[in-house]
Formats: sequence, C-alpha cells, structure tokens
Amino acid sequence: MDDLTLLGFGPDGWAPLLLKGCLLTLAVSAASMAIGTVLGVLLAWARLKGPRWLRRTALVYGVVLRGVPELLVILLLYFGLPSLILSLAETFGWDAPGLPPPFLVGSLSVGLVSAAYQAEIFRGGVGAIPKGQFEAARAMGFGDLLCFHRIVLPQVARVVLPALGNVWQFNLKDSALIAVTGLSELMRTSLVAAGSTRHPFLFFGVAMALYLVLTTLSSTAFHYGGRYSNRWNRG
Amino acid sequence: MTPPSPTVLTATNIRKSFGDREVLAGISLEAREGEVISILGGSGSGKSTFLRCLNLLEVPDEGQIAIGDVQAPLARDRHGRLVVSDGRAAARLRTQTAMVFQGFNLWPHLTVLQNVMEAPLRVHRRDRDEVMATARTLLERVGMAGFHAAYPKRLSGGQQQRVAIARALATNPKLVLFDEPTSALDPERVREVLALMRSLAEEGRTMIVVTHEMAFARDVSSRVVHLMNGRVESSGPPAHMFGPDASPAFRAFLSPAAL
Amino acid sequence: MGEHLTFIGSVTAQLVRAVPVTLLILAVSGVCATVLATGLTVLSVARSPLPRLIQRTWTFLFRGTPLILQIFMIYYGFAMVPWIRHGMLWAAFRDPVFCTCLAMTCCCSAYIAEIFRGALAAVPRGEIEAGRACGMTGFMLLRRVIAPSLIRIALPSYSNEIIMMTKSTSLASTITVLDITGVAQQVIAHSYRTLDVFCAAAALYLLINAGLSALLAALERRLDVDRAVPSISVPPVVEPLS
Repeated sequence: MDDLTLLGFGPDGWAPLLLKGCLLTLAVSAASMAIGTVLGVLLAWARLKGPRWLRRTALVYGVVLRGVPELLVILLLYFGLPSLILSLAETFGWDAPGLPPPFLVGSLSVGLVSAAYQAEIFRGGVGAIPKGQFEAARAMGFGDLLCFHRIVLPQVARVVLPALGNVWQFNLKDSALIAVTGLSELMRTSLVAAGSTRHPFLFFGVAMALYLVLTTLSSTAFHYGGRYSNRWNRG
Repeated sequence: MTPPSPTVLTATNIRKSFGDREVLAGISLEAREGEVISILGGSGSGKSTFLRCLNLLEVPDEGQIAIGDVQAPLARDRHGRLVVSDGRAAARLRTQTAMVFQGFNLWPHLTVLQNVMEAPLRVHRRDRDEVMATARTLLERVGMAGFHAAYPKRLSGGQQQRVAIARALATNPKLVLFDEPTSALDPERVREVLALMRSLAEEGRTMIVVTHEMAFARDVSSRVVHLMNGRVESSGPPAHMFGPDASPAFRAFLSPAAL
Repeated sequence: MGEHLTFIGSVTAQLVRAVPVTLLILAVSGVCATVLATGLTVLSVARSPLPRLIQRTWTFLFRGTPLILQIFMIYYGFAMVPWIRHGMLWAAFRDPVFCTCLAMTCCCSAYIAEIFRGALAAVPRGEIEAGRACGMTGFMLLRRVIAPSLIRIALPSYSNEIIMMTKSTSLASTITVLDITGVAQQVIAHSYRTLDVFCAAAALYLLINAGLSALLAALERRLDVDRAVPSISVPPVVEPLS
C-alpha cells in the first residue's frame, strides 16, 4: 500500500481517525486548561489572601506539581483513581462503579499540573497591578466583587495572556502523554496506526505535522488576544 | 447672621499606630458644607494617614467618623482591635466621598471617559445617558473635553490629575479628599491643577486638602489645620494662621518656605 | 503498619537504584543540548538568511511538537529506515537510552537557544559599544563582554529549563527504559499500591530538582556582580592632609 492510500479517507485510510484524534487532543487540552484555570485561580487566591495553613498548602501543591514529571501524575491518577473510587465505594457501601473514563483521568491529571503553573501566573499578574488602582476603586465605594471584575480582571488579562498562551502550548503537548491511558487522541492514534501498518516514520511524521498545525494556530490566536487585551497600553 | 451650614464630616479622636510608632495621637475634625480645609504639616506628621482614615482606606485604632448621616461601621473584634465591621456600610460611607491621589491612580485599562463614568455607573448604578452627560460636562469643566477616547498612559501628569478630579466629582460627593494632589507634578502642571481646585472651592465644594502648597492654603482655604506629631498643633482661618498671632510652631514650620 | 513501612522501604530502594539512569539521561542531554543551543544562537545572529532560517525551523519543529512524539519517531520511526537499520548507526538507534538523549538534545536545544537568544538581545548595547571602543573585536568581545552579561541574564530561565528537562527524562520509561518512572510503573503494575510508589518516586524527583536548583542558585549568586566581593583589592585612597 502506498502512503497516500494509508493517509486517505478510503477504507484503508487513517485520515478520519487521525482527524478525530486531533479533535480529541484539542478537547482534552481545553478541558485540562479549564480545570487548570479554575483551580489555578483558587490556588492564587489561597496564596494571596488565604489563612496561613491554606497558603502553606497551596505553596506545597505548587512545588510538588511543578517538580514532579507529568507522566508520573498521569500514572498516579490512571492507576490510583480506580482503587481510590473502589475503596470509597466499599467504605460507603455503594455499588462498585466501573473504571473512570480515560478522558476524565487525562484531562484531570494534565489540569492538576496546569493549575500549579497557572496559579503562579495569576499571582504574578495581580501583584503587577499597582496598589493605588485598588485604593482608587475602594475610595469610590467599590466592593470586592466589583473591584475584581472591573479593575483586576481586565488588567490581569494583559499581563497573564501571553503566559497563559505558553501554558496552553504545554497542555497541548502534555496531552500527548495521556496516550498511556489508552485514550485515542492524536498521539495514541498515530501510535496504533504506526503499529498496525508498520509505517511508523510516516505516521509519526504526520502526527508531528498535525501538532505543528495545532500549536501554530493556537499561538496565533493568543497573539491576537494578547494584542487586544493590551490595546490601552500602547504609547 | 446666616444659620451655620450643615456638618458634612465629624471625626472624633482618631488614633492610629504602625507598630510602635504612634502616627495619629487623637485628632478631631469637623467640616461644614462649603468649607475648604487645608491640612499642613511636616513629613511624618500623619496628615496623609489622617485623610486615609476618613474614608477607611486605613482603619483607625480608635475614634469615630461620620460623613453626612452615614456612620463609619467600626467595631472591636475579639482582640479589642477596631475593624471595619460591615464591608457594605464601609462602601456606603465611601460613596459619600471621593478622593484625589498623589499618584492619580487612574485605571489604565479604561479610557478617560470610562474612568469618569465607572463609579457612577457601577457603584451608584445611575442611568447611563445621564452619567455620560455628566461625565462630558465634567471633562469639559477640567479642560479635558478633547480626550474622551484617550487612555491615561498617553496623558501628561497634569492632564491625568485633572481627569482624576473629574472622576472624583462624577458621583457628586458630599466631600472631596485631596491627598497631596500636586506633589507628583512638574511645577508647570502644578499651576493648572491648583487653578482647577481653586475654581472648585469657589463653586462651594466641601474639600479637605493635604498639601504643601502654602499659597493655596492661604488664599483658597477657609480653614488651615497644622498637624504636628500626630496632633492638631493649631488651626484657624488663614488670616489668623498666616498672620502675626499664629503659633510659634506653625511659624517655624513656615519659615523655611518663607526663605 | 510495620509491613507497610517495609514495603515503602523496599520500593524506595528499588527506585533509588534507578536514579543513576535518570541522572545519566539528564547529564548527557543537558550538556549536548546546551552545546547545540550555543551553536543555534550563533546561527540566529548570522548575517545571511539561511542560518537564521535553520535556527527558526529547528525551533518551530521541536517546540511545536510533543517530546514523546519525537522520542517515538526516533526510536520506532528510524528503526524502519533501511539505511539506519542496516548501517553503522543501528547499534546506537536500537538503544532506548541513546534515543531518549538524542530526542531531548534536539528538543531542549530549541528551548535553550530561545533563552540564549532573548538574553543576547537583553545585553545592553552600551556594554558592547564600550568593548568595541577600546578595540575589542570578534571572539574577544564575545568572551570578555557579551558572554559574562549573557550568562547572568540567561541563568534564571536556564535553571527553569533544566528542571523541565529533569521531568522530561521520565518519558524514557515509555520506550522501555527503567529510569525512576519506569521502575515506579513496574512496581505499581505489580502491587497496585499506587500512592506509596508515587510518593516515593515524586520525592526522588523533588530531591533531584531541589539539588539542581540549589546548585544553579549558588552559581547565580556567585555571578551576581551587585553582591560579589571584588577579587582584586583596591588600595584605599589616602587624602593628603590639607
């Protein structure tokens, strides 16, 4: 079989599966980014305003999750989550549920790592806003929520967007590690294709090209987003 | 004789320490409608801290504050320290006042017009068209009519401070607090901002001004308060304070400036 | 409880035996990537467009794709290329440790080159002009003026990248290398005591990273001109009594 048939949409072609893999990679990266943002904001808040024990916990979380290989975190959740669920089910007398879906395990583990990085970014972003900005707002009777929504958020977006773009790129590439859980995202699909057709060079090459498309497109998007959020800062 | 105008601000026995250092050792001040009070004093005399206590940017250790008919929500926590007991009430107190800062503190991500409209629109929830009209009038009033769409970064210090004054007036506050509004400006810009403040005073705005501008204190204010070591050393109308009967301490404070 | 501690102890012992593998991969690819990155940085400031294009393409290719894919490409992909399979290089390409090191060298050199490039752009122009003004050219200018500044500026980001590399070495386990993660995976698969094994492995990685950070921070302090004690003592100027 020649390369074009293998990459085509025909009965022996892998194109549909590879494209599906791309979509799944995007979906799992987006899910982990969202998990990372929510948890990252909470962690940043804990570091900035939380009581002492919470500040410490958030600090330790950051040090551990940024210092331990992503693959190890994925393995922990992949192997550890089922037994945790099982023991929980035993303790509370529930029916034993099935294995957690790989999509959930994957996006959760990449998201947990992402959160540690995003927390640092948000913390730095809030710190970069001059204190006088908050004072001016409070002096005019702004409450905490209004202050966050109208003063912090728009300014943090400017500082944070380029850095978040970086995190997104890392998420996109880390999502390839989820292949070890058997989720058929782009990496896994190319691995299966490479194995069953015995054309690894071709399929890994195509997967690389597809990752390049994804990373390039998203970095362009972040570039324009960054320019928009920075429109007030150009002299 | 005209009846005395209503009281806008009552601050009683305000005390504040930072660590061991007592910055305010019990200051009381009352301001009536239309008064312009200049607070003078050497550096470290506590004048900025006192001003920032009035709208609770600093929480005093002791004392009571009322602006208009809103009482500052201060209560003691279980350690006996004074704290803001009710965030909403604090915000309500602040909506009675406005502040102009030494460093302008305009919000850099909003245009000039948006800066002025922000508080009346979001905090006071007034009608958008009405707020817009007021904001335009105010910007014209401070001589910034042509700059609606500009972002603060592109303006000079004097222009930024004039926008900040328009922002302070936009909610029509009962009392405007000025915290050394000209200290961060070039001498040329100082004049344009002082001229604006003088015209506000003539309009009958109630103002409390912490300043180093002696000429402003002498010519514009209705009362001058001299702070020293966290206390009111002397106070009175400018004619008295800048006259021969002023307290020796205040004259000593003035003398380097007179040279 | 006692049995539990024994288990953790034996797991830790097994994992510690894998530490040299992890460190070997890190050291080899760290050194090679840094050398390669230096070359790429030189390419990036070349006058003719071709070397700059090479550097840009290299960066684009290796930063835009996952490292795990690069490792698979080299380990599984190259094995299918006939001239490698039957050539002199086969001995190297059949070795997963070599393949990991090669992939990490390529990938991390792209990241490090970008760090060096940014630092080079941040070296104050005035310093270089001052060097030129006192007659320095070419290599001497690079060696005496540009490099000291560049290293100082690049060091914090470089340290970060080294930590990232430590974490990346764990990918070797996906192509059968028994490094810390590889051994951990083996033990987990046999014992299902995921959390214990994970904690032991995580602790080892954190220890390695802490050691590296301390080392690099010490280097940073040594190079910090603001705090350094001058090595040449300057005799005090004695004012003549007037």
